[in-house]
Amino acid sequence: MISKDLTVANKLGLHARAAAKVVALASNFASEISLQKGNRKINGKSIMGVMMLAASQHTIVNVVVTGEDEQQAMTEIENLFNNLFDEEE
Amino acid sequence: MALIVSGIGVSRGIAIGNVHRLKRGAPEVFERKLEEHEIDAEIARFQDAVDGAAEQLRGIRDTIPEDAPKDVAAFIDSHLLMVKDSMLRKVPIEIIQEQQCNAEWALKQQRDKLEAVFEQMEDDYLRTRLNDIEHVINLIQQILKDQQFTMQIKLQPLKGSIIVADDLTPADTVVMQNQNIAGFITELGGPLSHTAILARSLGIPAVVGIQSARTLLQQKEQLVLDGSSGMVLVGADENTIKEFRQIQREQKDARRKLGSLKNISAKTKDGQRISLQANIELAEDISALKKSGADGVGLYRTEFLYIDRETPADETEQLSAYRKIIRVLKGKPLTIRTLDLGGDKEFDPEFQGPLTQNPALGLRAIRRSLKDTELFKQQLRAILRASASGPVRILLPMITSDTELVQSLSLLDQAKHELKSESKNFDADILVGAMIEVPAAAISANIFAKQLDFLSIGTNDLIQYTLAIDRIDDQVNYLYDPLHPSVLKLINITLQAGRRAGIPVAMCGEMAGDSRYTRLLLGLGLHEFSAHPSTLLEIKQIINKSKISELEKQAKKILSTTVPSKIAPMVDALNA
Repeated sequence: MISKDLTVANKLGLHARAAAKVVALASNFASEISLQKGNRKINGKSIMGVMMLAASQHTIVNVVVTGEDEQQAMTEIENLFNNLFDEEE
Repeated sequence: MALIVSGIGVSRGIAIGNVHRLKRGAPEVFERKLEEHEIDAEIARFQDAVDGAAEQLRGIRDTIPEDAPKDVAAFIDSHLLMVKDSMLRKVPIEIIQEQQCNAEWALKQQRDKLEAVFEQMEDDYLRTRLNDIEHVINLIQQILKDQQFTMQIKLQPLKGSIIVADDLTPADTVVMQNQNIAGFITELGGPLSHTAILARSLGIPAVVGIQSARTLLQQKEQLVLDGSSGMVLVGADENTIKEFRQIQREQKDARRKLGSLKNISAKTKDGQRISLQANIELAEDISALKKSGADGVGLYRTEFLYIDRETPADETEQLSAYRKIIRVLKGKPLTIRTLDLGGDKEFDPEFQGPLTQNPALGLRAIRRSLKDTELFKQQLRAILRASASGPVRILLPMITSDTELVQSLSLLDQAKHELKSESKNFDADILVGAMIEVPAAAISANIFAKQLDFLSIGTNDLIQYTLAIDRIDDQVNYLYDPLHPSVLKLINITLQAGRRAGIPVAMCGEMAGDSRYTRLLLGLGLHEFSAHPSTLLEIKQIINKSKISELEKQAKKILSTTVPSKIAPMVDALNA
């Protein structure tokens, strides 16, 4: 199991399109992936779940990845966060 | 008789066409109890509807033209993911089983639950994303009710009509675009809705928020719609329609012409090259910057790195923010203004201490930076390090006295020494300039011009301080006048000081971006304008049609005019 705190850095936060990117990426991995903000913990492979996190800009999200490809999954998720979900801002 | 209806213009352009009314909204949903033996069939019906929704979305996605902005497909993709999500696909089935109710009712309950979660969200943008989920749920509901609305639109001849609907989904918008509608009006929605964003990307004139549009506007009635002002004109006579067709043509021509100016440099008819730079702040300005054909960034505001967040950005975060813009600029200069808080800008009590009676005259801008030198040096270090990646200039805000300048320059030297000893790269000859925005600085501009590489006139504050007017005070802001003789004198003094010292003087206040003043400023000798990227092409168009030699004489006359009310007509005459 790997756990990491990632910051939502893009301007609009985890809105539908950004959430879609997270889910599409997470779904590529066999590992279980969860995102947690405050008391709300959701499945990283569910777009509605990710949207319902209501993670706006500068929110810190705790990402937990458990499974055989956890290392790779965490690296790629972290990259997606760092690249502002491929958004310009 | 003509009638004018007003809404919110969300996508500019004029549309003239006949009304085509559509009803989109959520169908009414009733609860029905199921017999035990009906449950499996109901679940199957629900699954079919969800599959149908996915299929419709995929079908719409396939019709998106290749050259459409990639946002368009991304919207549909996120909706597709929702259709696959267990919260929409599995949870309602569980509800059907547990409560033995119909699919519509189960879906409605799940919708209400989701809505409750979204309504509690604090972030406005994220909260409105409930719209996306509702669109998807409505799509499923509609299929359940055999109301395949989008399919309906597909079958209708809509070419040239103005669609009037209660609400439209992004999917509807794409389908309608393919059918060449003239524009649309909705009762619901706001400028942030995806449908509005899509309308802008696709260039469909649109007005939203006309609450009783479907009652006010009759089927087949001719309308004129102005997507900038949000005005809708009903029952206009032939002459009026003709006028609007003319405006429509002119707008199209003007847009084409302005767009064609992007790659042409700004140069007056008598051959003076003028530098047109962009004022930017948030990352959202970057795409506007790219479209503006700017010669660089004349003002990069850095306040966002300090306020509305838990802690100020550290050196690394600042560096990466600066580098991001440098990459976009591809070798054109980036002018970074150091932290400028207070006055009419956002005020952050945690960051600036208690609110004083007169924040505009208080601890703001360079004063604050010189009080917290560690924080200031951190920013200078980040700016210096960014200068290793491309041309960067430092702009010091609100410099009022020579002492402040000397202190700032000495801190800059310290930062350079530190970086040198740490073997970090930076441009040792980085250009440094000061904002001239306090009358004291304008009057003594020659002192600063001698010690600096450039000056930049900040007209917003310069006017406010010169005329002693708070721009945001409704009781006095009618006195705010960029053309006040004293303001023009201070601008002129600053420009002269720059010429004598042989350094460039820019203007980065709102005055520089207001096309009414472009010719006056050219006549006064301004060669570097910095304004919001969206205004630059318009300014360029004026510059390229102007002759400085003709404007100089008039500008002198204006400078010697002492009656404020006489100046505005003289400036207007320059533009005629």
